Amino acid sequence: MPTKRILCKYFKQGACFKGDGCEFSHDWRDPDCNVCTYYQSGNCAYGSSCRYEHVKLKRPESVTPARTSTVAAHTNFGTVGATSGALSRSSGGNSEAWQNNLSSADIAWQEHSPFASYNGGWQEAVSYASADEGWPLPSSSFQIRNEVEDTPKYNDPSEEPICALAATGRCTRGESCPYLHGDRCSLCGKECLHPHRPEERDEHRRQCERNQKRLEALRFSQDIECSICLDRVLSKPTNAERKFGLLSGCDHPFCISCIRDWRSTSQPQGSGSDAIVRLCPVCRVLSYYVIPSVIWYSNVEEKQEIIDGYKARVRDIDCKHFDFGNGRCQFGTSCFYKHAFRDGTTEEVKLRHLGAADGNTVIAKDVRLSEFLGRLNLRR
Amino acid sequence: MLDVSRVQKELMEVERDKLSGVSIQILGSSLSHMQGTIEGPSGTPYEGGVFTIDIQLPSAYPFEPPKMQFITRVWHPNISSQNGAICLDILKDQWSPALTLKTALLSLQALLSTPEPGDPQDAVVAEQYLKHYSTYVSTARYWTETFAKRSSIGLQEKVMKFVEMGFSEDAALGALQSTGGDENAALEKLCSG
Repeated sequence: MPTKRILCKYFKQGACFKGDGCEFSHDWRDPDCNVCTYYQSGNCAYGSSCRYEHVKLKRPESVTPARTSTVAAHTNFGTVGATSGALSRSSGGNSEAWQNNLSSADIAWQEHSPFASYNGGWQEAVSYASADEGWPLPSSSFQIRNEVEDTPKYNDPSEEPICALAATGRCTRGESCPYLHGDRCSLCGKECLHPHRPEERDEHRRQCERNQKRLEALRFSQDIECSICLDRVLSKPTNAERKFGLLSGCDHPFCISCIRDWRSTSQPQGSGSDAIVRLCPVCRVLSYYVIPSVIWYSNVEEKQEIIDGYKARVRDIDCKHFDFGNGRCQFGTSCFYKHAFRDGTTEEVKLRHLGAADGNTVIAKDVRLSEFLGRLNLRR
Repeated sequence: MLDVSRVQKELMEVERDKLSGVSIQILGSSLSHMQGTIEGPSGTPYEGGVFTIDIQLPSAYPFEPPKMQFITRVWHPNISSQNGAICLDILKDQWSPALTLKTALLSLQALLSTPEPGDPQDAVVAEQYLKHYSTYVSTARYWTETFAKRSSIGLQEKVMKFVEMGFSEDAALGALQSTGGDENAALEKLCSG
């Protein structure tokens, strides 16, 4: 199934209610199809400012209904426009007839498009579709489907789709809506909980809780000022600057850029672990690392969550200093990034333990020639 | 590149907080050179004096400490009696970008009340402080009375006095500002320059 490898547009917006039954991919790693349908027929009104890509798709040599429906399904809005055109032709614009027609057919598009029962866009869609002369109308495919699935029967109630408009909080028909309305989610207030799909309900609730928490944290983070530039971190001009730098040792907030600038300030007198730049500028507590984060935290658990999340994200990224074994990373075993060789094997660290004169054990560092040369210069 | 927005915020904060006894004036058009004043802490030989401090901001400020030096002459173990150079760790290797001009000036005020003769800038004063404490106190008080007292006449009147002597108003004002309002030093400067 070719569409299974394309990211679902509705899933991307967090609004796909088909769950596992969706013919599009719900895996973030899959690419999304961002091709403009109107450009294919040469009449995209947005021109160069269109948010979709203006590239010509290779047109199939012989147009078969199956192929057409695939193309239509690729671009969800296109499907609506084209099909509605086809429908209005067959029904002559009579809304009674349209209702009957619709109820028995075209589950594919009505269940996958939030525009399905949007009457206002109807005429518009027709005009788009009728202008679509060079592109094969998918009407044929839908007529074929009409014959096949005359009256949609759902053996399992969990297969019945819910009204997509109600799920986004915009269905104005209320009781008279022919589609199943989901239960209202207590968190987001939308009728989007499918009554017969428990996993989906749980998933939605979890998602909603996460969103709510994040919003709350963002609101709380708005007023927090950086102690170095004295600006509010989230009011900085560029996106890259609107990030906090979390210190491992204490809870004082800084912009990521400010605290990194300070920690990279050259300190000739003390370059060891007690160097002043490694201390918090406010409380002078030593921090070994700084973690970037878009939100600030209000308790220890949240801080740990942010740190763990960051570490997990960068653990899969190859360390550029280690450079697959060609380079040398000064952070060694403490590096957050991946230390792997080209063949996929990870670096094995052999620490050399030495007994110091005072009886303590120390870990021997790699000795570099430059360290001796530097000392020679000083003695002269 | 000097972080102008941060310096402006700091100046506004100093302006807003009248109680601390700290003030800052900008000299010239850039924000890199200014003058701060602190009041002598009560209960010390510096009580009643107003001390002027020259402040130079390096371009890397706030990641580098501001350069501060007393313009007003002061008798203190950690401040040079000759050129006003200050021995204070936070203005050197213990600087932190979370410190501001205001906190640095307040630290100078604290330094006036708690001298550190063990780590002196002026060895003569430090020795006097350790061996003849009462002499130190009276000398410091005398210096405060002589150099740090706001004279009864204001700056404008002093300028007018110089103008009557035949100096231009701009030159007189400049000389007075650079010497912290000390008329004799300003006259010396005007005559030599």
